[in-house]
Amino acid sequence: MSKEVLIVDDDPDFVETTEIVLQGNGYETRTANNGEEALKKVKEKAPDIILLDIMMKTKGDGIWVSEKIRSEEDLKEIPIIMITAVNQDAEMAKFHFEQESGMEYMPVNVFMEKPIEIEELLEEIDKLIGAS
Amino acid sequence: METESCKIKDFKCHKKRIQGWHNKFESSISSLIETLKDLKDSSIEAKKECSEHYARTVELTKAKTRFTFEVSHELKAPLASVYNIINVILDGYLDGDIKKQKEFLDRARVRIKNITKLLDDLLMLSHLEERTKELEKEEFNIGEVFSSLIEEMNEYAEKSNVKINWNLSENCPHIYGNSELIRRVFANIIHNAIKYSNPRGLVEVTGKKENGSFLLRVKDRGIGIKKKELPKIFNIFFRGENARPNQKKEGMGLGLSLVKRIVDAHEGYINIKSQLHKGTTAEVSFPESQKKEK
Repeated sequence: MSKEVLIVDDDPDFVETTEIVLQGNGYETRTANNGEEALKKVKEKAPDIILLDIMMKTKGDGIWVSEKIRSEEDLKEIPIIMITAVNQDAEMAKFHFEQESGMEYMPVNVFMEKPIEIEELLEEIDKLIGAS
Repeated sequence: METESCKIKDFKCHKKRIQGWHNKFESSISSLIETLKDLKDSSIEAKKECSEHYARTVELTKAKTRFTFEVSHELKAPLASVYNIINVILDGYLDGDIKKQKEFLDRARVRIKNITKLLDDLLMLSHLEERTKELEKEEFNIGEVFSSLIEEMNEYAEKSNVKINWNLSENCPHIYGNSELIRRVFANIIHNAIKYSNPRGLVEVTGKKENGSFLLRVKDRGIGIKKKELPKIFNIFFRGENARPNQKKEGMGLGLSLVKRIVDAHEGYINIKSQLHKGTTAEVSFPESQKKEK
C-alpha cells in the first residue's frame, strides 16, 4: 500500500505542485490549506507523514498544529517536516519549542526552507518513512 | 578701599563690613543653588528626552526589522511557488499534458506580475516615507484623472461581470498634488470594489465637491470586511480572511496601506465602512487647491 503524505500550506500553487511531485513518485496525498483543516484531517485518518507550512495566515499556524499533534497519544509519532519561507522562521520555531518545553522537546523532525528542491524533499521523506 | 575706611578698633564698622560680605556670600550661594536646581531640572528633562528618544529608536528599529521580515515572506513564498512550477514542468512531471503545463505557467506569470507590483509599491512606499516633501505636486483639475480611469475600470468590471454606475460632478475642483498618485488612489479603491463584488454585482462611484474638498465615494455590495478586521485594513500586507480565496487574482500590492500614505501626503482623508457579506463603502477626499480656480 502506498504511503500517504498530508500537505498543509495556504499557498494553492505550492500545494498542487508538491502533490504532483509526490504522486509522481508513488505517494498518496491529501491536502489542507490551514491549521484547523489539517488537524481535522489528521484526526480523521492519520497520514504517514505531514508536510507542514509554518506560516499560515488563518486558522492555526504550523507551530500550533505540530504541538497539537504531539500532544495526542495516538498521533504523536507521525513525522512532521516543517516548511518555512525564511530561515528565521525555523530559528523562531526552535526557540519557541525550547522555551516552552525544554531542549529535548522538538515537535518537528526536520525543517526545510522554501524554495524546496524536489530531490531533497523526496530524500527527507524517504529517510523518515521509507520510499513510497 | 573699605578696609581703610574702618579704624582698627571701630568694631561697628568691621561688623558692618563682615555683614556686607556675608550678604554677598549668601546671595551668591542662593544664586548657585538656583543654577544647580536649573541644571538638575534640565538634566532630568534631558534624561527623560533621551530615554524617550531611545524608546522611539528601539521601536522604530523593531518595526523596521519586522517590516523586512514580512517583505521577505511576501516575496519568498510566491517565488518558491513559481520555482516549484518551473521544476515540475522541467522535470517532466507534466509531460504529455500541455493544457496543465499552460495552466501552471499562466499561474506563474500572475505570481511574477504580483511580485513586481509588490516591489513597485515598496519602492513607492519608501519614496513616500522618506521624501514626502519632495513629492512632485502641481495644480490640476481632478476631473482630468477620470477620463482614462473610467475606461480602465469599465474594462475590468466587464471582465469581472460587475456593473459600475459613474456619477461624477461636472464641476470638479482643482487640487494641488501629484495627479498620478491621486489617480492611483482612486483606481485602487474602485478596483477593490469590483474585485470583491459578487458576480453581477453593482459598484456605485460618486465624485463631487463637498466642504472645500473633492470627495469620491465608492460603494459595493460585495463580500465586505469583518468588523474586527476593519482597524487593520491600512496595515502593510494585511488581507481580510474572506478576501484570501481571491489571491490568484492580479493586484496583490500593498493596496490600502499605500493608498493611506498617499492620502496623508496630500493632507486628505480616507474612511472605509463595511459590513460582512453586505458590502463596503470607501470615501476618500482631497482638499481643494487654495489658489483661485482657473
